[in-house]
This record gives sequence, C-alpha cells and structure tokens, in this order.
Amino acid sequence: MSIRRKRLSDGLTVTQKVFVRSRNGGATKIVREHYLRSDIPCFSKACLECVKIVVPNAQNELPKFALSESPMELTPEIGKHYVVLDANIILQAIDVLENPDCFFDVIIPQIVLDEVRNKSYPVYVRLRTLCRDSDHLKRFVVFHNEFSENTYVEREKDESINDRNDRAIRKTCQWYTEHLKSQGIKIVFVTNDKANRQLANNEGIIAKSLVEYVECLPNADEIKDTLPNLELPVNQDKDQEARAEFKYPEYYSTSRVMGGLKSGVLYQGAIQISEYNFLEGSVSLPNFSKPVLIVGQKNLNRAFNGDQVVVELLPQKEWKAPSSVAIDSEHFDVNDNPDNDEDDNESEIVSDKQRRLLAQDAIQAQKSSRIQPTAKVVSITRRSWRQYVGQIAVNSIDLQNGGTQNVFVILMDKCLPRVRIRTRRSKELLNKRIVIAIDSWPDTYKYPLGHFVRDLGDIESSQAETEALLLEHDVEYRPFSKRVLECLPSEGNNWKAPESLSDPQAIAKDPLLSSRRDLRDKLICSIDPPGCVDIDDALHAKRLPNGNWEVGVHIADVTHFVKPGTPLDAEGASRGTSVYLVDKRIDMLPMLLGTDLCSLKPYVDRFAFSVLWELDENADIVNVDFTKSVIKSREAFSYEQAQLRIDDKNQTDELTEGMRALLKLSIKLKQKRLDAGALNLASPEVKVHMDSETSDPGEVEIKKLLATNSLVEEFMLLANISVARKIYDAFPQTAMLRRHAAPPATNFETLNEMLQLRKGMSISLESSKALADSLDRCIDPKDPYFNTLVRIMSTRCMMAAQYFFSGAYSYSDYRHYGLAVDIYTHFTSPIRRYCDVVAHRQLAAAIGYEPLDLSHRDKNKMEMICRNINKRHRNAQFAGRASIEYYVGQVMKNNESVESGYVIRVFHNGIVVLVPKFGVEGLIRLENLTDDVQSAEFHEDQFKLTFKHTSSGETKDLYIFDKVSVQVKSILDPVTSKRKAQLLLI
Amino acid sequence: MSRLEVYSPEGLRLDGRRWNELRRFQCSINTHANAADGSSYLEQGNNKIITLISGPQEPKLRSQMNVNRATLAITVNITKFSKMERSKSSHKNERRVLEMQTSLARTFEKNVMLHLYPRTSIDVQVHVLQQDGGLMGSLINGITLALIDAGIAMYDYISGVTVGLYDTTPLLDLNSLEENAMSSVTLGVVGKSEKLSLLLVEDKVPLDRLESVLAIGIAGSHRIRELMDEELRKHGKKRLQNASS
Repeated sequence: MSIRRKRLSDGLTVTQKVFVRSRNGGATKIVREHYLRSDIPCFSKACLECVKIVVPNAQNELPKFALSESPMELTPEIGKHYVVLDANIILQAIDVLENPDCFFDVIIPQIVLDEVRNKSYPVYVRLRTLCRDSDHLKRFVVFHNEFSENTYVEREKDESINDRNDRAIRKTCQWYTEHLKSQGIKIVFVTNDKANRQLANNEGIIAKSLVEYVECLPNADEIKDTLPNLELPVNQDKDQEARAEFKYPEYYSTSRVMGGLKSGVLYQGAIQISEYNFLEGSVSLPNFSKPVLIVGQKNLNRAFNGDQVVVELLPQKEWKAPSSVAIDSEHFDVNDNPDNDEDDNESEIVSDKQRRLLAQDAIQAQKSSRIQPTAKVVSITRRSWRQYVGQIAVNSIDLQNGGTQNVFVILMDKCLPRVRIRTRRSKELLNKRIVIAIDSWPDTYKYPLGHFVRDLGDIESSQAETEALLLEHDVEYRPFSKRVLECLPSEGNNWKAPESLSDPQAIAKDPLLSSRRDLRDKLICSIDPPGCVDIDDALHAKRLPNGNWEVGVHIADVTHFVKPGTPLDAEGASRGTSVYLVDKRIDMLPMLLGTDLCSLKPYVDRFAFSVLWELDENADIVNVDFTKSVIKSREAFSYEQAQLRIDDKNQTDELTEGMRALLKLSIKLKQKRLDAGALNLASPEVKVHMDSETSDPGEVEIKKLLATNSLVEEFMLLANISVARKIYDAFPQTAMLRRHAAPPATNFETLNEMLQLRKGMSISLESSKALADSLDRCIDPKDPYFNTLVRIMSTRCMMAAQYFFSGAYSYSDYRHYGLAVDIYTHFTSPIRRYCDVVAHRQLAAAIGYEPLDLSHRDKNKMEMICRNINKRHRNAQFAGRASIEYYVGQVMKNNESVESGYVIRVFHNGIVVLVPKFGVEGLIRLENLTDDVQSAEFHEDQFKLTFKHTSSGETKDLYIFDKVSVQVKSILDPVTSKRKAQLLLI
Repeated sequence: MSRLEVYSPEGLRLDGRRWNELRRFQCSINTHANAADGSSYLEQGNNKIITLISGPQEPKLRSQMNVNRATLAITVNITKFSKMERSKSSHKNERRVLEMQTSLARTFEKNVMLHLYPRTSIDVQVHVLQQDGGLMGSLINGITLALIDAGIAMYDYISGVTVGLYDTTPLLDLNSLEENAMSSVTLGVVGKSEKLSLLLVEDKVPLDRLESVLAIGIAGSHRIRELMDEELRKHGKKRLQNASS
C-alpha cells in the first residue's frame, strides 16, 4: 500500500493503492481516491466557526446544525456533553438509542456508520432514520471524519484495520473536544470495547461503557432494563459449560459453508417452522420437489422461523414423514427454569419426552410411504430477528425475589421458542404485553437471550392487543410525521376542484389541468360497504345513440396529490397498503387524502382517473379510453341501498336505469369470466359487529354477498384488466402487474387423497376451468356446507397471488390463475394500495398526461417496490385475520355454545376442527378427547383417529371431513395468557 | 454495490467530493517528443492516459487518402492491466472499444480543420494505463491536448466529462464505483461555448432532469478547459524561454 498526499487547489487528496491477492492466486488491484476537505462542519449550534465554512448542496440548501447549544448536563465530571458512539453500541443497542428518553445530541462518526452498514443494513437504515427525523428531539448527526482534514488518520505500519478505525474514532473525539472547549461542551465516548476505552482515557477522552453511561443518567433505572443482555458473568459461564449436558452443535466455519454450497453438499434456503409443531421446520430448496424436513431441536440448531439457513442432508435411514403430532412451544417444557438453563432432573424428563415423540414418529415414517428427506442446520446466514411481542411466563418468576432475575418470555408467535431476559421489574411486567429484542443464542443455552424493550399495556386490553398485533405483523402504525403531512395541499379540507378547467388562474397553479376531461355531467354514483369513508371508485353507464353502452369506472386520483419523490410518496410506498382491523384502520395515506380530498364523496367535485368503455349488449369491449377527469358523484350507496334501488320498480330515473344496466352487464361479464375458468374459492370469512356505543364486540356474522357486490367487483376487474394491457403496452419491462401462478400438483396431493378415500371425489388440476368444474362437482347432497369446506381447503392449497413488474417474468407467466385472465393489475384502490398508485402513474404516462418518474421505469427500483408491497400485503392480511380472531374470542367469551364443526386435519394426538359459524379452527388434543390416551389409534393412511369416548366409553372413529358437534368457548390460556377458542367434542 | 452510500444525506460522495467537484486533474504535453509529433499525458482522478499523434503524414495505404481533407484515425488501446483485475484479452476488437473510437473520431472531425491537410492522415493512438470511470471524457481531454501539441489546427478546445444522476442530484465527474451505481451522460463541450460536440447517453435519464445534468456537465467541462489552458500556457512559456536562452 502506498499513500501519497498532494495539495490541490480545493482540498487534499490521498490516493490509496492496495493490492489484494485474489482467490485464484492472481493479484487484484484496488485503487481508490480519497479526498480530504476542510469544509465539514461540527453541526453544533454553539459553534461559531463552522457556520463560516459550510457550502450548500445541489438543491442550494445549507446543512442544518442539529446539535443543541445547551445539551444535557450530567454529573459534575461530565457536565454539558455530546455523545460519540462506537459501532458495537449501535449494533447491540439500537433500541436504546431510539428510546425517546435518553441519548440526545449524538455524533456518529462516518467510520462507525460504515461499519454498522457492513454488519447490519437494517440497523443502518434505522440509524439513518434517526439522524434524519430527529432534528428537534434526539439530535443525531453523522460526522464525516474520514473526509475531514482535521480528523483523518493514516494507517500505520503493522497496524490492523480495526486498530486504525478505533484510532480514527478517538481522533474524532479529540478534535470535537478541542473544537468545543471554548463553548464548555464536553464529549463522552461510549463504547463497550474495553481496550479502546483504556486508550481513550489515556488520551484524555472521557470514555464510558454503555452501562456506565446509562448509570449516569437521571432515569437510569428505567433504561437499564432495556439494555441488551450481553454481559454474562464470566465465572458462572464456566461451570455452566462444565455441567452442560445440553449443547447445540457448533455452526460450520464460513469457508466450509462456502465450499459446501459450491460443491453441492450443503444447501441454502429460508426455514419455515411448522404451524402445528415448533420442533419441526422445512426448507424449500430449488432442486427438491418437496421441502426438506428438519426435525428436532438439535437439528434445527437455534434457527428461527424465517432465517436464511444452510442445511446438510441426513443419511437416508433418518428420513421420515412430516410429524403427525401437534406441539406448541407454549405447552412444551413449561417447567424449565430460566436461571439454571439445564437443570438435571427436568432436562432428563424433557429429553425423554422428546425421544419418545421422536420414536413414535420414526415408526410412523416407516409405515408410511410419504418419507421425506431430512436435514440439519449447519449455519445461519441471515437471522430474521426483529422485535417480538410476548409476555412473561408466570411460572418462571420468583415472586419472592425483588431484584434482577432471569425470566422466560413466551412469544405470541407460537412457531418461536421462548426467550430468556433479565429484568428487575418482573413483577411489574407480569400480565402485560411486552416487546422484547433478541440479542444472541450461544450454543450452551437452550433458549435465546434477549432484553426488554417496552411494555404495551395489560393483557386483554384492546389497545395493547391491537398494538401487539400490529407490531407482530410489522405494520407501521405511528402517526404520519411532520415531513409527510407537509406534502399535503395547504388548503386542507377546504381544497376544491376548480370550477372551470380553462380557468387561467387554476391552470397557472396546475398546468396539467387543461388535459383533464370534464365528466361532471355524467350520472355517477358509488357503491361501497356501509360506513365506508375512503371511496376509491364510482361508476356510471349511459346508452349511446348506436345502442351500445358507455360505461365509466372512475377511480380517485390519488397521484394528483402524491407526487413521486416526496416524503409522502416514500411513506405510502413503505406502508404499501392500508390495514383493516376490526376496530381500527391503519391508513396508507393521511386521513385528509384518504377520507376527504381523494375520496369520491357524493355531491362534490373530485379529481378522478377514469376508464371509459363502449360495451355492446353482450358486454364485449368495443372501445376503451383512459383519461384524467373531474367528476361529481350523484350518490354514495351501500350495497344494500343500491340493491333496494335497483329492485324498486317505481324508480325510473336515469341514475337507477344506469345502475340496472350496470347490473345487467356485470352478470354477463361474470358469466364470461366463469366460462373462461375463473375460480370461485372460499375462505371462512366472518365479520364482527361492534356495539357502536361501548365499542365492545357484539356478534359474529358470516359475510354475505349481494348482487351489487359483484356488480362493483366485475367492473373493477374489467378496469384492472384494461389498465394492465395498456401499461404493459407502454412499459413492456416495468409495468406493475399482478399474477397468480397455477398451483403445483403436489399441493393438492393430500387433499385429493382425502377426497378420494372419504368421498370418492377428486379435484382435477389440468386447468383452472377443470379445477372450477371439479370443485362444482364436490357436493355432498346431505350436507350443503361440504362444498364450501372443500373450497376453503383448496384455497389453502393455492399459490398466493403476487405483485411483480413485467420484466421479471415472460408473458405466459403473467396469467392470473384464479381470475382466468392473461394479464392483471391493481388499479382501482389507490387510496389503500400502493400498487394502484404505481399503476396510476404508469397509466398517466402511457396516455401522455405526464412523464413517468424514473423510479417506476427502473427494474431494480420496481423490484424493490414489488417485494415490499407483497410483504406488506401479506402482513396486512395476517394482521386483519388475527384481529378478527381476537375479537371472535372476545365474543365467545360472553356466549358459549354448541356448534357444528368439521374435522379438517387429523393428527396423531388430536384433530383440527373448523367451526364455520365463527370462522375459527382449533386443535382438540387427544387428552381432551379421551381418558385413555394409550388406547387411541391413528391410521394415517385412512385419516382416521380411533379412541374411546370420555363420557360414554364407547369406541369412536373420527375421519377427516366428519361433521362433529363441538362446544365452543373462549378460554384464557394459563401459560401464554392468550385468549383463544377452545373446542370440546361432544 | 447498492449498499454503498453513494451520495450521503450530508452531501458527500464515496471519495469525499461534493456533487459539483471534479477529480484531481493533472496534465502535461509533449511528453514523448521523440516518439510522436504530438503527445500528452493526462491524469483525471485515477484515469491515466497517454496520447500520441503522428501526422499529418502520408497515409500508409493509398486507399485511405482523401484529396480534399485529412483522414483522422483514432485507435484506443486499453491495456490489460488498466482495470482491477488483469484482463485476459487485449480489448482490441471489442465492440465497446470500436464504438468509442468511432464516436471520438466523429467528435473531433468537426473540430479539427482537416481541410487544411489534404491527402494526409492524422493518426491518434491512445493508451489507457489505468481507468477509474468516466473514461470517454478523459480520452477527449487527452486527445485535445495531444492535437494542440502536434500543432494541428483546431477551432477550439474540446473538453469532456461524465455526469451522473443519483436520484435527483446530478454528480459531476464519476469514478467507476459511482458509474456502476447510476445512469450517466458523457459530454464533449467546444471551448467556452455551450456547444456540444459529443453527447453520449447510454442509460435512461429522465427528460426533466437532463437539463440540470447538462448544466453541471458544461460547467465542469469549462473548468477542465481552464485547467488544460493553464497547463498549455505554462508549457508554452517554458518553451519560449528555452528557445530564447
């Protein structure tokens, strides 16, 4: 390495030349320039010097000086101070840094930021967000020490990179200390690296460890609990190791993993833990038709649900079928003691229990032909750790002990193991929903180590439960930030569409106004669920002189207000979708837009994006046109109101006639769609009615469908299809589309086997048409619900539809299997889905209304958008379902009843029953079915469980699809304090 | 790659420059006085380029002769060791290099008074010793200097620079890391004017941003012209001194 320094007219330059030996023995030359500058400010408001040297950026803005002139004062030794952080602090304790009650005026040296970015990109993003959004509150700044003339350090001979970087941080601290001496502001360097702290102290810098620093704070006690669980007592560690019977296998070294992956001995994939059995996971690998199983704690080897793992196949004799036992982490090993991780007695019992289960499995596997290869985890490439919600396990607390103790936290997600945390507030936190973060999982610990982050409130309080649910599904629910709200029109609620589209004043404000079409004379109305405030869509129909119909679908013009590149757009893109919970709606866009300016409310002028067709009597498209428009909705109907109006023979006004025409056309459209093979699938969807005054959940109702529902739906589908074709024409590489892949035959194997065996029916998978027809044939004349049940079960075998950009697949793969169309997108709900926003922009560009933003023309950026909205969409669905589940539980709390249910899965030790009335399904354990567990027999090939009935004592056979009567009640699980439906067979 | 902070919120680029700053620019002419009629050596950041000119001279082949004007032939030799890893091929007949040669020849044909040298050929050889992004711009600058050294009549300097667009910020004079991370435009600007003799757009650039990109590119090219002019005048003075003493 050679370094030359040369003075230039505007700054210094250092050229570094590094030769690195590459893998194949050749040399790789990496030459980088590095410019040092004298215009990097200290960002302190107290500083008088740096104001003189700053230069504006490309937007001609000067940098903001964020650090306060009167920062927090601490003990006399420290006084007024800024904090400089080391990378290890940020990586371990980002949660603490985000805590609004501590860490103000923080300087992040660039070298630290770089290290954080290399180690963990998500943490880097969070840190950057902190720096960006915390001007007034937290005041975090990044100081580019590497580019500043004053703080750059050269690497010395024989100095390691790490030592050099540590020295660079210390140099920065030194410079800041000198620089701000006259203002009386000190610098505190916080690092957990002991050696670095020592060196810093020698150089006259105040250096503290995280714990030392937090102890100086006035609110130390509260914050201390949230510190990561890292400092293990050293001496205890040793003897623990000595007596550790239990030890996870060590992970393979990186080089071995790399080599193994290359030579095809090891495989990489994301692990998915079974919903019913937390000791069993599966990894989908591209070269296997079925997922590879990973069974047992040791084979799972500390993997969390969703982690990227590297696996090694086990010898063939260890291959087995997926287990037919349901095991929850909550009820398993409940008696483990958090303090001594491996208590001899209990662990023996536990491992015995495990072994027994494994042996049972092995026997099953030999009997059955459905043996799957198994594997073990040998390395974890990327952890999916995030913050989790859970509650403290009651029996892990020592209530006599007042001080700090180890307790277990049981997570809401039952696929995850419990987590061990240290806290002094265990009594206080009992019966609360708490948020925890995971720190590490050393191989000598049976459970991962974590720390407390914050407390959400009492268990079963609706606020805490809702927040927990949103956190668990990674839904951003905080109010919109100031920066986002600033992007809204300044008129607020008083915003009005201009009277005339040729008004010069209005055109001066919005030059694109003249290309809008005035459709205020059309008789437009909207039809939505009752109580809907964010009205995305409105419709109209009119007979043309030639006998055809002019039909218009008008969609709220969200992109008029949400311009690309604004913070508002970024927020919408990251939220991706609105989330609908039973009692709450989390908006994608601020209220002002969603429920007012964009919402196509009746009787007022609104901007819209219109799709206008000319349809003939058979509902075939003669012509289609797209335009931005101004509309005035005549009426906002609910589905029922619309139905009544259409059915009312006395109403013969033009609006009603238009609606009748729409209904007539929609029926034809639907028939055509079904003829083409569109699927009519089902899910056990229910709706919870809330008492409007007490906002207590009232009753549960199965969603019913009216003809007007499908009226709106058909035209929305038609609009989506037309738009998809148009934007694909205009942007063949980056059009925002939605596809639904055909389900692989293997998904239906089990279901078909069950149907064949029990009912002599089968589902054909040749095409979506064949599937639809065969579903229609699955009818049990004695039981009308059976058909719906089969539909529900086949829905679960389907692939999930996904958003994608057109460049990602070839045209034949664009197909939407469920709707049986060759191309599809989402266009009709831009208020609540970001995909529609993108589609709107692309359509606007396709019709020449305005140029398309670069981010929607760039494959990489589209890829990022698609990935995010797919994830958000999924999470929103899960969150919505979980919310319904919770409230259904609340409803059942008040009314226990006996309902009919259907057996939809049979396990070795229980059955899963679906109760259509409440849309709930639950596991009934064998213990609750019979007193004599040993005599129960499970016939996997027949999907049959034989047992002696508890009360009557007679032997009973239960098959899959059997209709059973169950007692439904809601119980609070004593271990997890989770309320759920408990089913008991009668 | 995408994980690099190409342009930080504080307004600094990967190598510590701001959005409108050029890289280190050093040049000298008449570096190979005995080997060629005109020569230059140019360092623009980590681009290191030798340009040699022979001519105007009698063409080697009769067929290349044009009775009305001189023929301008430009050969770009990208050495095997110019990049991070030693490349196996000499980039001689690569499409990318041939394209470069053609667009360079077109850039200069308009600007060199070829009609003054009928029946001759002017051969330009460019050797790229090291490259680090924005190569085309550096090639233009090197050729301009060498042509001046060779005493071939030109209307004005042509100075070249590459400008990228990162989100909404134009970045002047990209290095290779930046070039890989964003779309870019190469300009060749004639003298102090705003005339472009070369505009090379190989990636997508949104139309509404192009203006700001071109503006900063032209400003940067003018700065480069100044730097070259300074060096030439210094060199001229030195030669005058040598001649008179």
